[in-house]
Amino acid sequence: MRILIVEDDVEAAGAMARGLSEAGIETVHAADGVLGLAAAQAGGFHVLVVDRMMPNMDGLTLVETLRREGDQTPVLFLSALGEIDDRVAGLKAGGDDYLVKPYAFAELSARVEALARRRETGSVQTMIKVGDLEMDLIGRMVHRQGKEIDLQPREFQLLEYLMRHAGQSVTRAMLLEKVWEYHFDPQTNVIDVHISRLRGKIDKGFDHPMLQTVRGAGYRLEA
Amino acid sequence: MAIALPRVFRTTPFRLTLLFLTVFAASASIFLGYIYAATAGEVTSRADQAITQEIQSLTGVYRQGGIKALNRSMVERTAGDRPFLYLLRDKTGQKITGTLEASPVKGFTGTPSGVNFKVTDTDPDGAETRHSARGQQVQLVGGETLFVGADVSGAESFVLRILRAIWGAGTLVILLGLAGGILISRNVNETMAGLNRVVIAVRGGDIAARAKLRGVNDEFDELASGLNDMLDRLERSMGGLRHVGDSIAHDLRSPLSRLRARLELALIEAEAGKGNAQTALVQALEDAEGVLSTFNAVLAIARLQSAVEAPDQVRFDPGDLAAGVAELYEPLCEDKAIEFKLEATPTLAVRGNREFIAQALANILDNAVKYTPQGGAVRLRVRRRASGEVEFSVTDTGPGVPQLDRPRVVQRFVRLENSRSQPGAGLGLSLVAAVAEAHGGRLELDEGPGILNGSGPGLRVALVLPRLG
Repeated sequence: MRILIVEDDVEAAGAMARGLSEAGIETVHAADGVLGLAAAQAGGFHVLVVDRMMPNMDGLTLVETLRREGDQTPVLFLSALGEIDDRVAGLKAGGDDYLVKPYAFAELSARVEALARRRETGSVQTMIKVGDLEMDLIGRMVHRQGKEIDLQPREFQLLEYLMRHAGQSVTRAMLLEKVWEYHFDPQTNVIDVHISRLRGKIDKGFDHPMLQTVRGAGYRLEA
Repeated sequence: MAIALPRVFRTTPFRLTLLFLTVFAASASIFLGYIYAATAGEVTSRADQAITQEIQSLTGVYRQGGIKALNRSMVERTAGDRPFLYLLRDKTGQKITGTLEASPVKGFTGTPSGVNFKVTDTDPDGAETRHSARGQQVQLVGGETLFVGADVSGAESFVLRILRAIWGAGTLVILLGLAGGILISRNVNETMAGLNRVVIAVRGGDIAARAKLRGVNDEFDELASGLNDMLDRLERSMGGLRHVGDSIAHDLRSPLSRLRARLELALIEAEAGKGNAQTALVQALEDAEGVLSTFNAVLAIARLQSAVEAPDQVRFDPGDLAAGVAELYEPLCEDKAIEFKLEATPTLAVRGNREFIAQALANILDNAVKYTPQGGAVRLRVRRRASGEVEFSVTDTGPGVPQLDRPRVVQRFVRLENSRSQPGAGLGLSLVAAVAEAHGGRLELDEGPGILNGSGPGLRVALVLPRLG
């Protein structure tokens, strides 16, 4: 996987590149908006990680320009501006995800991977299969090894998200944002409780546990 | 060339006074001129009328009794106290009788005509005074000429007196007007100077400067109180900003010091070849996480407190929002064997920022679950009060908060003694209070339902939002 980092803070970009390469992601760095736009236009990236505030051209303008030109490469905005309206502005400009600085590498790489993977599955699915776990999106049913698993609506959404990102680390913040659509940070880790409930339904009674905890990051559904 | 006038003459009120006085003087002159013309005309026409009547009376005597009777009547009249001047002359112009020696009418053609003339009066002391007079002359059928005149000096002096009085009054009015103008402009000047001093003081950095009100409730007082109000708000928001800066500095300094100490110690130990660098790094990372989340919470609270109202407000169903947050916390309650209940009146509506209110509700629920022991109960209720306000209330069966401590737990970083064992930075309820205030609502803390399963009396926390519209 190859990603473009457009970030004027060279030191931060260097640390980011090191952190991402640990996760097996190849990075290219552009030090301002104009250079970033030129690099993005040259193409060949799975994901663009764009800082919002940069000299010469800010991140919003860069992404707006790319989108006008028809470039649909997924964009992850990085910003020190974390207010709701800042995030909305980023998504409106054509961003696909928004991460507030400072962030954990695990959070960044999980989100970059999620964006890169999203691009590969373009067609409309009616069925998701991960190992022996099957999800029928039309009939809203889940089977493992042919046995029906009864899920609450929210558990279904949670599992759907995990299955769509099977094999990738998914953070608690991502789950809270994508499944519950909350952008705040609950004091208690309520997500853990929901995960352990789901785990009790899809893994209990089967010899191979699929829903795994990734230390320091979150969770991963493995086939 | 600019003329340096004293300041008072350059003020707006003085200029307005001058303008007003000019208009006043012009209209007064026109008015007075009209009065003079009317009065003077009236005096002349009255004299003429009296003269005409006298001539008619005399010609009547002449018609009945001839020149002799006229002569006799005129002698009688001259001797009486009639205010007329007479002259009767024969065909040749010789005076027959009368008080005048010669006729003031020059070049008499026989047609009756009026004339203005002067008579010289000699008083007993021998002093001579000249009076204005008017008169008419007619020719009688026998060829004699009759002149009757009247002294109009009394009437004329009356008109002159009126004129003088009017002039005097006008001058007085103009002088008083000027004096009033100067007084008013001084007064206004002082008031404006007072306001100006405040503006200059504020510009110079003294935000505490305030304009004095004169207590007469006029537009200047209105301006002054408007200015003061504006300065109050400005001072508050500046104070708010300073407070944010102070509290961020205060709240982050100690955890940052802790983090620094830990790293320093880890370095010393690593150099000495003892200790576990990895453990130290994990702990340092945790410390940094803590600093960040505290920072975010303080910033969020500060932003809400300094905002006039919460951004991005929409109309929504509070029951739906509560159900969403409740769903997030339900499994947590179940794990702790806490009985959880949601009671929401359907189809209510409130206005607000969904994200902030959801977060506030999550904070309240988080606290409730945290402090309620196993086997307890937590109830989330959404209903409309009789006042039309909508309340989200969470009741738990934890230890509760003593009444005296209730106002305190809302403040930032305040944690009661028995809660020290629980995780958290003590910002949860402060955020809820800030969210409530940014929506024009409030946070209420009350006693819970009482003792349940050996625990209690519990706490009831309500987020109250104002009624719609």
